[in-house]
Amino acid sequence: MKKLETFGIKPHDADLKTNGKQWSVMEKLLLGLTLDQYIGQAFRNKFNWFLAIIFAIGIPVIIYRFIFSLGAVTHASYDYPWGLFLGFGLFCMVPLSASGFMLGTTVEIFGRHDFEPIERLALLNGLLGYFFAVVYLLVDLGQPWRLAYPMVYSFGPAAVLFLVGWHVATYLSVQIAEVSTAFFEWIGFRRGYEFIRKGTIGLTVSGIILSTLHQGALGALFVYAPGKVHPLWYSSAFQWIHFFTSSIPAGLCMVISVSTVVIYTMKWRCDKRFIDNLDRITISLAKGAAMGLATYLIIKFIAIAHDNEWAYFATGWGLWWLFEIICFVTLPMFILMYGIHHRIVGLCRIGAFMTVFGILLNRLNTALIAFNWKLYQEIPHMWEIIIAITIFAIYVATYRFILARLPILYQYKSQAEEIEVEVSEEQVAPAKA
Amino acid sequence: MSKISRRKFLAGSVAGGAAVMMTPAQKSFAAGSFEGFPEGMGVLVDLTRCVGCRTCEAACNLEQKLPAPALPFDDTSVFDEIKHGQKRRTTDKAYTIVNRYEPKGADEPLYRKIQCNHCNEPACLTSCFVNAYKKTPEGAVIYNSKVCVGCRNCMIACPFHIPAYTYHSAINPVIKKCIFCYDTRLKEGKPPACVESCPQQVMTFGKRKDLMKIAHERIKKNPGKYVDHVYGEHEVGGTGWFYLSSAPFEEAGFDTSLPKEPIINNVKDFLAIVPMVLTIWPALFTGFHLLATKGKSHGHGDDHSHDEQEGH
Amino acid sequence: MVNAGKQLMTGLGVLLLISILAMSCYAMDVFPDEVEIDVLENLYEGVAFDHAMHVDATENCSVCHHHTTGTGVESEYCAKCHDGEKEMDSVSCQNCHSADPVSAENLHNPKPDYIYHDDKPNLKAAYHLNCIGCHKEVDGPTGCEDCHAKTEAGDKFYHSGEFAPKESAKGSGH
Repeated sequence: MKKLETFGIKPHDADLKTNGKQWSVMEKLLLGLTLDQYIGQAFRNKFNWFLAIIFAIGIPVIIYRFIFSLGAVTHASYDYPWGLFLGFGLFCMVPLSASGFMLGTTVEIFGRHDFEPIERLALLNGLLGYFFAVVYLLVDLGQPWRLAYPMVYSFGPAAVLFLVGWHVATYLSVQIAEVSTAFFEWIGFRRGYEFIRKGTIGLTVSGIILSTLHQGALGALFVYAPGKVHPLWYSSAFQWIHFFTSSIPAGLCMVISVSTVVIYTMKWRCDKRFIDNLDRITISLAKGAAMGLATYLIIKFIAIAHDNEWAYFATGWGLWWLFEIICFVTLPMFILMYGIHHRIVGLCRIGAFMTVFGILLNRLNTALIAFNWKLYQEIPHMWEIIIAITIFAIYVATYRFILARLPILYQYKSQAEEIEVEVSEEQVAPAKA
Repeated sequence: MSKISRRKFLAGSVAGGAAVMMTPAQKSFAAGSFEGFPEGMGVLVDLTRCVGCRTCEAACNLEQKLPAPALPFDDTSVFDEIKHGQKRRTTDKAYTIVNRYEPKGADEPLYRKIQCNHCNEPACLTSCFVNAYKKTPEGAVIYNSKVCVGCRNCMIACPFHIPAYTYHSAINPVIKKCIFCYDTRLKEGKPPACVESCPQQVMTFGKRKDLMKIAHERIKKNPGKYVDHVYGEHEVGGTGWFYLSSAPFEEAGFDTSLPKEPIINNVKDFLAIVPMVLTIWPALFTGFHLLATKGKSHGHGDDHSHDEQEGH
Repeated sequence: MVNAGKQLMTGLGVLLLISILAMSCYAMDVFPDEVEIDVLENLYEGVAFDHAMHVDATENCSVCHHHTTGTGVESEYCAKCHDGEKEMDSVSCQNCHSADPVSAENLHNPKPDYIYHDDKPNLKAAYHLNCIGCHKEVDGPTGCEDCHAKTEAGDKFYHSGEFAPKESAKGSGH
């Protein structure tokens, strides 16, 4: 893309071409390039080759899994019924996707329109995270074609998983609606866009409710296993609070991380508004994340005190727990705070990456590493790891595909506002009502 | 750049809220305290009688039409099998297993039969989001494979590591576990195959409440023979199958750290907040919205200074 | 409930020939030298029980026959009620130990509450608990086939002998 820019070719970002004609959907898909230009830049991009290699190995393995059963690609462990697909795919992707409801709340409920340039990125991050959590789930379920059973056929309302299922499904629909505004803009369907915009508050509020419940519910799932999860990672009273509070810094830091990756790798797609505001927003998001981490840290220790588990600190598990909490909760918290205080965006970004890693570590600890601590340590099957990586690569590819096209990082110039030149500072969206 | 009208605002939040309300909110009422069916059957397992002949394993295999074993059922080398540092456990091909333990200070080994304990308030049942499990009035915990989605949450929830899964089936993988021979025997009042086959009557079949008396009588009548504890009387809310042992239970591989309450009690804390969040959040956050945006323009892109607002 | 007994319950089939015992054990000095225990046989063949040898070895009938033979009571606990008991009409195991105590009929017609002995092992268990319990102490035979040979039905049931799994024969089991 950079190379094309030097030739003066700009990516598509408006309804009308410079000569006043409308873009067709095909042209939009090709980012306003000609087919040759598009293919040319796709082949030049080394990251595409990297993805292609992963897909070449991983997709056949996924197909293999569906033909020859889950037992063929995992260790088929009865003691570790949930492996990487859920341990990573579900339990990590969902908290990292809390960004949607966080930013939705900030902008729409609290009226903080200064966060608007990043709102859509946060919403998209939420949608894709949830969507791919479901994809991981489909790969993991024995009979994915029965996924709708708890919705329509056989109800188990006393189960936490029932709650998770319903809420993730509902929330996914809410998020699709929220992100669809960008799609409607892009496709040129104004009325759909306006219809959804009117329901924004309702959608956002239901997003908060659903998120509170299912982020917490994912934690509550482990409350079923008091003898299996190590006491340091287990708390019957606080488990859901741990998962919920940690999802707040997780979501915010994921947005910081994604925006960092985007600004370094897809700057061509970002408009002036996004680029100019990003540093300020990053620091603001970091503030939220640091607050969230502090809350999380305190509740973590309250839970230890509540169950009086201090003695475990003298064991190897205690050291591992302290490693997680000190290196990936406390340390990033201080890095973020330092970064905020001295307005060093780079430090905030480092802190955010560390926080994201800390959440991954925490969820993997709860679901796999400290699970069955009295039995033995399960090391996932080679192919299980390959499948997990492949689905993540599909996630990244989808993310990139959408970012490159829909008006997430840039403001779409619709026909009506085409005449305006200095649109970039003013929001394109029409006021509600 | 006009203000949002109150009516539109409410319409929006009601629409969103309604979607949420459609999801069942009554979960917290689904689980009460339940101490088992009064006439429920149970089995008293007296480990002191077991000689490790594995006849029960063979009987289970035949009754449940399970696949042929890898080794004959009279082969005692299986007691030395160690996988991941663990002794054998129930699988999708073996619903019951006998393991050998060497308790400290005992001159002979202790054998322990493992199968589903048929809890009074089963964790598997309460964790199942398609309600596949059922605790029958006869005392068995059975399940309906036809609705099993294969999420394996019951395997996570079971405190005794019992449910297994047919991982190697691509088309119809389901949960597999001991069902107390419900379909073929218990329903008709007959004891399960393993109980009937046992040469030593390690297992005594009867009404749970009667057997519990017998268990305590045995402890009382044979001073020094038993540990003064019936494992399963109170563990995780009481189990249909319960155990007597001559050695401390942890030395026979039992998890003695299990809570006395049913597993579901741990989850009730969380389930209780569900209706609260569903009812309080909409009002709370729409309230926040009105407060936060009162008197301000609802248009987008208003360029107020962020620095002023970042204090909180 | 006859069917129930057929297939599985007789895991290790044994039975005293009680007719011999019942008639000949009125007096201490009249007892059978050998007893063929074979009525419960199914998976295992019957046992040719060397009664004379056991009489010599134990010297006190009540070691096996509780209080029924009139030779005093071994267990202190039982002696609380059964001390100085007269010889019973029948000393056979199965007179008290039912082969199928948990049959549907028995379950539906529960014993009255005043019955003290509500924890009696079934017949098969009465034999095994009695024999193996003692054999462990005196180093007698305790393995299944030390006392009775497995039948073909037994081999089929245990997947042993000619019915043994093929893989394990090649030693690939481990």
